[in-house]
Amino acid sequence: MGKKILLKHDHVSGIQGYEVYRKMGGYTSVERALKNMTPNEVTEEVKKSGLRGRGGAGFPTGLKWSFMAKPKGVKRYLVCNADESEPGTFKDRYLMSRIPHLLIEGMIASSYALGANTAYIYIRGEFFYIARILENAINEAYANGWLGKNILDSNYSLDLFVHTGAGAYICGEETALLESLEGKRGNPRIKPPFPAVKGAWDCPTVVNNVETIAAVVPIINDGGEAYSKVGIGKSTGTKLISASGHINKPGVYEIEMGITVEDFIYSDEYCGGILNGKKLKAVVAGGSSVPILPADLILKTANGKPRLMSYESLADGGFTTGTMLGSGGFIVMDETTSIVKNLWNFTRFYHHESCGQCSPCREGTAWMEKVLHKILDGQGSLTDIDLLWEIQRKIEGNTICPLGEAAAWPVASAIRHFKSEFEEYVKNPSSINDVKHYFEVNKLEMA
Amino acid sequence: MKTTENIKSLPTENLMSITNGKAKTDLKFAFIDNKPYEIKDGETILTFVRRNFGNELVPTLCDAPNLEPFGSCRVCSVDVALQENGSVKSQASCHTPVMSGSYIYPSSDRIQALRKNIIELVLTDHPLDCLTCEVNNNCELQEVAAKVGIRDVRYPEGKNHLHFEKDFSHPYMTSDLSKCINCFRCVRACDEVQGQFVLSMAGRGFDSHIVKGSEVSFMESDCVSCGACAQACPTSAISDVFESKSIAKVETTRTICTYCGVGCNLEVATTNGKIKSIQAPYDAEVNQGHTCLKGRYAFGFYNHQDRLKTPLIRKNNELVPATWDEAYDYIAAKLTEIKNNDGPDFIAGISSARCTNEENYLMQKFIRAVIGTNNIDACARVCHSPTALGMQRTFGTGAATNSVEDLKYTDCIMVIGANPTDGHPVTGAKMKQFAMKKPSIVIDPRRIEIAKYATYHLQLRPGTNVALLNMMLYFIIDEKLEDKDFIELRTEGYEDFKKEILKLNMDEMERITGVDRNLVRDAAILYASSKNAMSFHGLGVTEHSQGTFTVMLIADLAMITGNIGRPGVGVNPLRGQNNVQGTADMGCQPHQGAGYFDVTVPEYHKKYEEFYGAKLANYAGYKIPQMYDAALQGKLKALWLMGEDNVQTDPNTNHVVAALSKLELLVVQELFMTETAKMAHVVLPASSFLEKSGTFTNGERRIQRVNAVVEPIEGTKPDGQIVVDMMNKLGYPQADYDPKTLLEEISQIVPFFAGVKWDELGDNGKQWPVLPDGTDTQILHTETFKRGRGKFVYNDWRESEEIVNYGAEFPYILTTNRELEHYNCGTMTRRTGNNKILTEDVLMINSVDAKKILINEGDMVCVISARGKIDVKAKITDEVLPGILSSTFHFPEIKMNDLTSSIADSEALCPEYKVVAVQIRKSKGQYKINPQRELIDTN
Repeated sequence: MGKKILLKHDHVSGIQGYEVYRKMGGYTSVERALKNMTPNEVTEEVKKSGLRGRGGAGFPTGLKWSFMAKPKGVKRYLVCNADESEPGTFKDRYLMSRIPHLLIEGMIASSYALGANTAYIYIRGEFFYIARILENAINEAYANGWLGKNILDSNYSLDLFVHTGAGAYICGEETALLESLEGKRGNPRIKPPFPAVKGAWDCPTVVNNVETIAAVVPIINDGGEAYSKVGIGKSTGTKLISASGHINKPGVYEIEMGITVEDFIYSDEYCGGILNGKKLKAVVAGGSSVPILPADLILKTANGKPRLMSYESLADGGFTTGTMLGSGGFIVMDETTSIVKNLWNFTRFYHHESCGQCSPCREGTAWMEKVLHKILDGQGSLTDIDLLWEIQRKIEGNTICPLGEAAAWPVASAIRHFKSEFEEYVKNPSSINDVKHYFEVNKLEMA
Repeated sequence: MKTTENIKSLPTENLMSITNGKAKTDLKFAFIDNKPYEIKDGETILTFVRRNFGNELVPTLCDAPNLEPFGSCRVCSVDVALQENGSVKSQASCHTPVMSGSYIYPSSDRIQALRKNIIELVLTDHPLDCLTCEVNNNCELQEVAAKVGIRDVRYPEGKNHLHFEKDFSHPYMTSDLSKCINCFRCVRACDEVQGQFVLSMAGRGFDSHIVKGSEVSFMESDCVSCGACAQACPTSAISDVFESKSIAKVETTRTICTYCGVGCNLEVATTNGKIKSIQAPYDAEVNQGHTCLKGRYAFGFYNHQDRLKTPLIRKNNELVPATWDEAYDYIAAKLTEIKNNDGPDFIAGISSARCTNEENYLMQKFIRAVIGTNNIDACARVCHSPTALGMQRTFGTGAATNSVEDLKYTDCIMVIGANPTDGHPVTGAKMKQFAMKKPSIVIDPRRIEIAKYATYHLQLRPGTNVALLNMMLYFIIDEKLEDKDFIELRTEGYEDFKKEILKLNMDEMERITGVDRNLVRDAAILYASSKNAMSFHGLGVTEHSQGTFTVMLIADLAMITGNIGRPGVGVNPLRGQNNVQGTADMGCQPHQGAGYFDVTVPEYHKKYEEFYGAKLANYAGYKIPQMYDAALQGKLKALWLMGEDNVQTDPNTNHVVAALSKLELLVVQELFMTETAKMAHVVLPASSFLEKSGTFTNGERRIQRVNAVVEPIEGTKPDGQIVVDMMNKLGYPQADYDPKTLLEEISQIVPFFAGVKWDELGDNGKQWPVLPDGTDTQILHTETFKRGRGKFVYNDWRESEEIVNYGAEFPYILTTNRELEHYNCGTMTRRTGNNKILTEDVLMINSVDAKKILINEGDMVCVISARGKIDVKAKITDEVLPGILSSTFHFPEIKMNDLTSSIADSEALCPEYKVVAVQIRKSKGQYKINPQRELIDTN
């Protein structure tokens, strides 16, 4: 069995409720932090732990916290990004609905470290039922003195609110999230200034992913050093992976960083191998935005080393032969999968979710979708593949927020690694096995 | 486009050490195409490149001069490297701060390809009907497309937004959103410039589109028609009915708006000698590319069919057309007769704050030097005369101490008795932006727009300003928040003042004002403890029986907290009319001549006599209300009005009409047949501000050049020329109206105009005092006050006689206000499209009172005061508290001033428009309303 830190008690009956959670050692990190540690000491532990942002970018959490501006008399905020909307990613959903108090405990300890007296959990609108779970948990926390004024007589006060989004993927981008939290249209902000200086209501704000905040709990309980010893290299600790696609055991797994990708896909402890004994074709390793890799490159790096489940190993080879750990949305595709159709599906998503602020993304995602649709409709030409390549090149790096990149990378990697499949569709449209039928069975709208 | 050769970059050798990162220097550099240039603090890459290479090198679409960087179009992207010819990353230059030592390549091949691709994508969803488009040849998209060299759009036909319907619902604003390129400039202009939040982006991604309000038309939305969006839009997606962005114009003239004391600069486009449209110049210091709907769109009155085009003389009780000579002869004979038989003091003149400084100067010179009396006054009497007097008494100068620009430097604003978003829309928009972000205090009986954003709104009973300000002063002293050093060094009379203030009973004050004392205390603490606090006031301060005292208290508040003499502080009256400051400066007051010298002081009397070369009266003349009284008593027989509609705008209409009817000669210079002109013996057709040159002085003492845009409408003459003609007619030689020579004359008699020269005023004018060398002054009283020490004078609050005498019988208090769309008596704005936006005067009434008298929204209400009775339509609103009513007098049909009283400020005789005791009931039967609304032609 691999090491479990966050999901240690996820199967304990009643862990959703306060009593059981507390019995299993819940809220000790808050006691420890508020009674025995200064806010700076908490931040130092997080720095020592080597914890990196679990939302996708992997930025060192302690460092992010230390960037928080602290001007006198100005409020500070901690905002938890629970707008988990990346296709293929569902770990936060599991964590919040299963162990809501773990997030709340982490919010309290983290807010204390940051000197925030108000904190928000921004949760995607579709998770309304989880919002209810969290609100119940928050009420229990208030009732038991973990939230509110003068927590544990420490003179530290915190109010925690759950704020539901309205169903826009873009609001997972931290500045769009802040705009939405403020009640505005969820458009990303230009940076600088960064949220750590000017965030929610122009006050210094830290935005962290659910899993990141949850990880603060064991870091305080067992010390940053203990946490840093789990994992491999700069990929410390454990990571929640949302495994989906053509595998025998889809689900959320907590893995210790550094296990091999092969082990993750084929071992019975995790995915349990490819469904129906088919062959592995490709994997999108970190949520739909990260580059897709063909079987050979996902199992082994370009120089023949086994690929590991870690930030560094998955990124080995850059975008030419590597990918990213991202949010840990691990989508496995077997040999029957059409990469072009899969890409069209992803592209449709980004086209739908672009906020429309930046011209390249607003127009570019629309055209990528159109060009792909044209190819799948049997009307494509070889120049369309070049056009597709060119559009994604013009989006990448030319937008205010990373949604542009998120939309561009799948296109780039699919062409990079599977160009022949595109060419085959263009040269031999009959090879697209009945597109119209494909649309029908998948109840998809023809663009 | 400037070429690289023309640009002086810094010598590379100086920079070698810096680029190695070893040298310590305060200067910072970055490289453009490998040549070093100095960086200024806070510069973005775009401003940095443009400062060195001009606007042409980097194209932009979503960037606009008066908007914050937004970064959405990405056309401004440039390549940036950390080393010379190193690996590059494209960055949006408009919002990326320029980094010291970075290498910027503004037009690398990569970047050019990127720009081309972006524009190509944008064009896939844009109708390519340039030839028939309003902005053909003046379209930013067209320009950028041409620059990046689009020849073909490679994308197949697909979904687009070309089917969007056009919106022609509004008298001014238009939209054709099929031409929208989603740059957000209109949305940002609406948010950042006006603060109206009408325009927004709906939908997401490719479906995102501009909406007005909740997807309604311009007319149905809360749009205030300021036109900022139309000016901001880079295409013709949003424009106006005047097609102000089309280049079908031959000439543009820069001039100053005539609608209020803000003094916005306008850029007027003309075609074949006719005005086509108006835009706002971005480099205008006053309005930075912004105006309100009056400035930008309400110019249609100028060639309206109703314009007076020939002099009229009353014969057999009818005004009949006459020649100028006939009119002049008639007037000259009558004036000479009265002067000879009764004496010059039987003649009076009222000048106009709508006219230029030069015209006002001439008018008072005419009355003083040619007629020989000091019976000269101006409409400042009925608006800001208490400001001038109160501030003169306290500081020595009756003018704004600071500038509107100081909003940038202040930490707190206090707005008293002013509704800037309606009355002074451009400054009002700036204040609203301020109030949305920073602490502000609003003292007003109405919940006006800015009050909704204020930190504290002290919603007092009309007529209790003095009590409320005394409360604030009490709490400042009580909390020991006085600026002791300032009081000690700069003021006098403080100890006595303090004693009186501390005697006040706060229970009583709370009861009088109706404002919770804790709220007043908190507001007082905010004002006193802000590093820099700035006050603005309007007619809600002055048009009271204690107007002058209120102004003095506002000045006291500034002095007690040391908020005088530096940026971001001071006492700043929001002057009502475009040149009300100038009217007083030029001497259109019965006790002070040009430059504010007291005409009764022998030294000054002599100075004026010598300067004008004429015998002058050495005693003060009549103020406007005194003129009416004198006329009724037979002591005034002739009155000359330059552009003022006293019948509609002065209080207690019946009294005014009775007085004017007694006159033997009433001369009116006017644009239109106003209610007053209808009573005249001679009507002289004048030219509007668009047809003449001169200077206006705005509310921040800024003397700006008014430039004739078109020739005077045939048959009309500039007011100044009419006065000159008359002076000559009566034997006083005066050269023809010419602002340049008149300014020379004025600069010799008005000390603070000493350095004012027509040719040196430039586009943005100068703020007086202007020293002989031409240096102007932004902030007054920096070292000492004009009168030496600032003077604290205590004044007790007194209930208005109106309430004392009539309060029991007439239990409601009616106060008067203004609406954004109309200006004063509306002679001009009612003859423009504004009349389609706001069609009538209404009575604001609280729902509690509406219920009491059983009326619904839109029902007619009969309002009765001790003077008269009117019927007016009800607007049920929480803008007024129960017991308080408010209305406007923009429309002659509703004779609002039948109700107002002749009670005036005890010191300056400014009428008390703001407190009228009235009774109300639901109207019965026939309303006394004129059903024949004037036909409006908006041209």
